[in-house]
Order: sequence, then structure tokens, then C-alpha cells
Amino acid sequence: MEEKFEPKIIAFLCKWCSSAGSDLAGVSRMKYPPNVVPITVMCSGSISPNYILSAFKDGADGVLVSGCHPGDCHYIKGNYYARRRITLVKELLEFIGIEPERFQMSWVSAAEGAKYTEIIKDFVKELEPLGPQNKLRSNL
Amino acid sequence: MVKLDDIKKECKSILEEGKVKYIVGYKRNNNYYMSIPAFIEKIEETDQLIWDPTCVYNLVRFLRDEKLRKERQKTPDTRPIGVIVKGCDSRAINVLLQEKFIKRENVYIIGVACEKSGVIEKKKLRKKFNEKNIKQIEFGKDNNFIITTEKGKTTISAEEILAERCIECNNNTPVIYDVLLGEKVERSLSEHFRSLEKFESISTEEKWNFWKKELDKCIRCYACRSVCPMCYCDECIADSISLAVKPDTTAEEKAQKIRWVEKSPVSSENFSYHLIRALHLAGRCIDCGECERVCPVDIPLRYLNKKMEKEASEQFGYTAGLDPEKPALVSDFKDDDPQDFII
Ligand code: SF4
Ligand code: SF4
Ligand code: FES
Repeated sequence: MEEKFEPKIIAFLCKWCSSAGSDLAGVSRMKYPPNVVPITVMCSGSISPNYILSAFKDGADGVLVSGCHPGDCHYIKGNYYARRRITLVKELLEFIGIEPERFQMSWVSAAEGAKYTEIIKDFVKELEPLGPQNKLRSNL
Repeated sequence: MVKLDDIKKECKSILEEGKVKYIVGYKRNNNYYMSIPAFIEKIEETDQLIWDPTCVYNLVRFLRDEKLRKERQKTPDTRPIGVIVKGCDSRAINVLLQEKFIKRENVYIIGVACEKSGVIEKKKLRKKFNEKNIKQIEFGKDNNFIITTEKGKTTISAEEILAERCIECNNNTPVIYDVLLGEKVERSLSEHFRSLEKFESISTEEKWNFWKKELDKCIRCYACRSVCPMCYCDECIADSISLAVKPDTTAEEKAQKIRWVEKSPVSSENFSYHLIRALHLAGRCIDCGECERVCPVDIPLRYLNKKMEKEASEQFGYTAGLDPEKPALVSDFKDDDPQDFII
């Protein structure tokens, strides 16, 4: 029997909102697929494009960047800077032929445990038909 | 038309007055039709200067070398250096000023307008002429080039051998200068992002196949980086050195020595290098086309930078190198920056 493809998602979550949101999903015992490896960072504005590219290089099938809603960033402006930078990363990845579904960004507040579970569910569903991400995976 | 005599006159006068240490311009490369950079220190050397469609190089790169040289000297000559710039090159100076890498008083800018034409692209030229026969290329009337070969002179429309970036250029007059030679001519030969059009209609897989084929050719000679006026980081991310991990190596040391890009010229590392470079040039690249010109394996690097330029312009209304007082593309935001893609 062929094994079902289980996409691996790396999620960069800001500490103050999105990570707290994912925690809330956990403590509220909401169910979502176990395909995601969350990495807490201080702010979405601290996510360097290098993080995203290395996640893909180390074999992520999808990468999620998530921060506080505009206006809610703990550091006031971090997510606005992130929005610009991530736009550029997203456009560039699509330009070189990476499936747009593989890289996503979201706003998740500390109260939005339910939204977080939905995002992960949808993400997994979108990644399944694409199969493993091998384009940027390390050849070394 | 810009007169070479005017350029020479200006250079002579600033050297005479001792305003500059030396001038970086263009001179003929012996009997070859192409120009090479010229470093003019003495008044009599100004006679070597030339101005023709082979003045392709972005001489702003040498401002970095000058800065490093000055830092090493105990008692440096603090006078500025003169540099001859075209429209695109002048915007590179603006970016360096914006990033506070150089100071305005470090450079005396001799701006030369491209008026109705621009510079040549050797690849296009080679398709039409046997390079060996070419003696000289000059600006002709209107937007024509005059090509001298053994058989005599031929006049061709500049567009036939103009560099792609010049055809797309909509900023052909220097935007910052101490003296401007030539006239400001509004001209646009094509859509500003014409070269990207062919990517719009192709599928994700076709895009990938294109870039895979191109970037797999890269031998990581870093010529593209060496020639780029914006690649001045003290430590490039592509050069991350290996860290010998010893029992007393701290976590912090390890964290600071992450190797984001390995040196081997394999597909994944080539992609890393080029994606990071494109992102680091976003909002900074002024499309002088030097990276693509020097690539020994003809990778069309301009497209990557052009794509970033396009997004900066269309989504954020930002063009690199127009105003050194404004914040850089990624050091700024607007409340209503587009965010349709964010869930
Ligand atoms: S890109 Fe524009 S400014 Fe630069 S050489 Fe060509 S025409 Fe001149
Ligand atoms: S110049 Fe060409 S081959 Fe050399 S590193 Fe740049 S892209 Fe690669
Ligand atoms: S702290 Fe959440 S985005 Fe800045």
C-alpha cells in the first residue's frame, strides 16, 4: 500500500499573537493536523527571508509566516515591515516557479485559536495535491 | 548630442582647480572597439577620455574601492573623486547616499545624459556584425549608431543593438550631479517592464524549468557580485565561513555562524544565492545591467532584479535611487500597503 503524502509545514509565529493563538488552539483542545512545526519568533518583522528559504531548503513542503493583525504588533510596526518584505519574497518565489500555495502569510491574534486551526487545515489540504517540495530542497 | 570636448573640458578644469583627486571615466581599450574604465589623475591624461555607445560600465562601483582604500590610509587625501555617470549610474550614487555608505562630498559627479540613445549590448552586436571587423562605434544623429569597420561606416538604428535595459529605460538623464552634460530628452522606447512580459503568460512549471536550467549553469564565480555597485557588505551571506565546533563553542557562536548558503555550485545553493541576492537588491538595484553583462555563463540575472523592481513600483510606488532623503523600500511602509494575499 502506498503511504499517504503528509506535507510538512514550517510555521514562523510571532510570540505575542500568532504563537499565543496556536497555544489557545492547543489548550482549548481544538483539533488540527499534526503536519506543522511551529517556530516562535519575537515578531513577524524579525523573520528574515533567509529563514524562509532555509526552511524550504531543509525540506519544508510549505511555509507559513504569521503575525499580529495590523495595528496590534507588540513592537508597533514590525508586521507592517514584514508585510512588505514577505510580499517581495512571495512574488520572487512565484516568479521562479514555486507553487504559490507553498508560501503563505496570515494574521492570527492571541484570541484566534480557531482561525489558526482553520489556516493549518486549509494549508494541508492545499499542499496534499502538490506532493513533496523538491525544487528548493538541499542537494547536499 | 553630448560633445566629448565638453567632457574633456570639464575634467581638465576640475583637475586644474584641484577639486578632485582623480576622475573615473572611459577610455579606449587599445585597438579594441570597446571602452575600459580610465583613471585620470593628470590634466594631459584627459585626452584619453572617450564618450561613445561602448561606455557600458557602471563606474560607481569604484566609489566603494575608493572608500576602502581611504579607510586603510593613515593620512588620506580627503578630496572627492570625480566620476562620469549615465542616468542609471547616477541613481546608484543616490542609493549609496541614501544608505549613508558614501557622503555627498566624497564624490564629484559628472552626469552625462543618454539623450535619445544609450549603450550597446555586445550579445546583440555579435549577432549582426563580426566583432573582429569592428573598429569603432559612435553616436550618430538622432538615435542612430555609426559603426566603423574595415569596409567603412554603416549607420544603424540604435535600437537594433541597444542594451535591453536602455530600451526599457525611462530615466535616461542623471538625477544627481555637480555638472550635467547633454540635454534631458524624454524618450521611452518601450514599456518599462517589457522584458518581464514573457513570464506573465507561462505556467509555474515552465517558469521553474526556465530558472532551473539557467541557475544550474552558475559556477559561483561571484563576478555578478563583484561588479555590483550595491554589493558592498563587509561580509556577504554567500561567504559564510565554516565554524570549527569545539567543546567550548557556545550556542551563541553557533547561532552567529549559520551557513545560509553553501559554497558548492549545486542547484539548491545556487538558488539560495540568487534569491537572497535578488531580495537584497530589491529597492536598491537601478538596473545598470552589470551583473548580467559580466556573467561568464550568460545567466539572465536582470530578470530577477527587474521583477523586484516591478513589484516595488507597482505595489509600493517605489523606484530605487530617485531620492536619497527618502527611506529605503524595506525600511518603510504605508498603512494601506497591499495585503490581499494575507489570510
Ligand atoms: S539604462 Fe538608461 S541611463 Fe542607463 S545607459 Fe541605458 S539609456 Fe542611459
Ligand atoms: S556571474 Fe554568473 S556564474 Fe558567476 S556567480 Fe554570478 S550568476 Fe553565477
Ligand atoms: S509581535 Fe506579532 S507581529 Fe510583531
